[in-house]
Amino acid sequence: MNLSMTRIQAIFMKDYKEFSRNYAVSSMALMPLIFAFLNNQTGANTIGMYFLPINMAFSVVTSYVQCCLIAEEKEKNTLRGLMLSPASLGDILIGKSLFVFIVTAVVVATTIFLVGYEPANLFIIAITLLLSAVFYIALGTLCGLLAKSILEASIIVLPVMLIFSFGPLALALSSANPILKVAEWLPSSQLLILAEALEGQYTTMDVIIPIATIIVWSLVTWIVAGFIYKKRMVD
Amino acid sequence: MNAVIDVQHLKKTFNKEAALQDVSFTIQKGEIFGFLGPSGSGKTTTIKILTAQTEKTAGDVLLFGRPADEMKQSRNRKRFGILTDNSGLYTRLSIEENLLLYSDLYQLPKSAVKEALDFVNLYSERKKKISQLSKGMIQRVTLARAIMHEPELLFLDEPTSALDPVNTQHIYNGLRRLNEMGTTIFLTTHDMSEAEILCDRVAFLHKGKIRAIGAPKQLKKEFGDDSITVELKNGACEIIQNGEQDAQKLFHWMQSNEVSRIYTNEPTLGNIFMQITGSDLI
Repeated sequence: MNLSMTRIQAIFMKDYKEFSRNYAVSSMALMPLIFAFLNNQTGANTIGMYFLPINMAFSVVTSYVQCCLIAEEKEKNTLRGLMLSPASLGDILIGKSLFVFIVTAVVVATTIFLVGYEPANLFIIAITLLLSAVFYIALGTLCGLLAKSILEASIIVLPVMLIFSFGPLALALSSANPILKVAEWLPSSQLLILAEALEGQYTTMDVIIPIATIIVWSLVTWIVAGFIYKKRMVD
Repeated sequence: MNAVIDVQHLKKTFNKEAALQDVSFTIQKGEIFGFLGPSGSGKTTTIKILTAQTEKTAGDVLLFGRPADEMKQSRNRKRFGILTDNSGLYTRLSIEENLLLYSDLYQLPKSAVKEALDFVNLYSERKKKISQLSKGMIQRVTLARAIMHEPELLFLDEPTSALDPVNTQHIYNGLRRLNEMGTTIFLTTHDMSEAEILCDRVAFLHKGKIRAIGAPKQLKKEFGDDSITVELKNGACEIIQNGEQDAQKLFHWMQSNEVSRIYTNEPTLGNIFMQITGSDLI
């Protein structure tokens, strides 16, 4: 795949300018921060409570913002403009994801600070959070590509946000309702399971399984998003 | 001669309904080719197939001697520019910011933005946001974006439909300059005067079929007659044909100083289109 830093940077800068002037979307970045602050004020100090605003940041900021940015490009026909330019699939997808990735990193880091979470193993948690960001960007890209308009995108992304934000909560109810045990394999649940494991005695498998699960989710979602993108290149 | 576009027996159907039927034409390097037809005749579909935005149903479509499908490859997209009515501009960004984005995507020097803005007479307005522009100004920005990288082939879908006469003339001059520099232009329009002013050759497209193709002068000769109209000072209009009898009539009117005006009855491209298809160009 041909990649050009100039093109990636151009798309990144364009997204930054668009995002900073689009208050409806940019204000969403504040939601998890407010939630994290309130969460901290309640004195919550369990890993499950720490990760509620963190997972919320991934779905509300990462997936939602990415979804809206892509859907708006489709609605205004600017995505077709990019597709007709010499920018490759990689240039466009990386350029469009890079901005949301940086916003996610800032929001998640601030959320962690506000919520008062101090990971037992910062390195492993940081790697897993970065991988999670890559997955949620793919999810947002996919939702944005499937939607025909921003309005449709904001509807499509809602159940996605709900499932991935509150999946770990469903897991807590799985003893009463065994079907909810499937929520264990959501990236948000795996992130939580890993974080909990790191707080005590953990094995290599305790680290590998959550990370591998998130990587598989990412790969599958990116492959599907790439396929849909190629389909969207032609009417 | 090098064919930049070679279309043979092109067919396109949407839900079993034919949008293009057995369309064939060739465009040589350096030509300005007009694709004329009313709304819904298949002009935009043709452009979309040529630029690999839509799959053809059947037929052969070559651009620069290669299958049009290869225009999907990013390295080939530098070779053409496209203007459509669906602008695809970022409304929250300024004119200049939009063009700077594309200058980076095409890896052009920043000076290309100024040149493109001068081309469409918008340099002084460059800081305005797209959301503040009129339809005509948006069309000019889209045109600037299409020509900025000096493509070998330029697709223009109704390029001056929203422009005032002054800017239309400015764009015509610019397009001629581009053409003189070697850019081949494929233009769709339903404005017959535009086609007459700009095009070396035109094709009439009606209900997905090409009904006639040729140079405007050649078509006028083919579909016109040799008659001339003589307006006399008494207000009468006489149509006369080549031949001794009518020549004597004309000689007599001129000798007796009765002639007010004389003009040929050359048909316009619009007349020819109506003659061929039985319908108007709307």
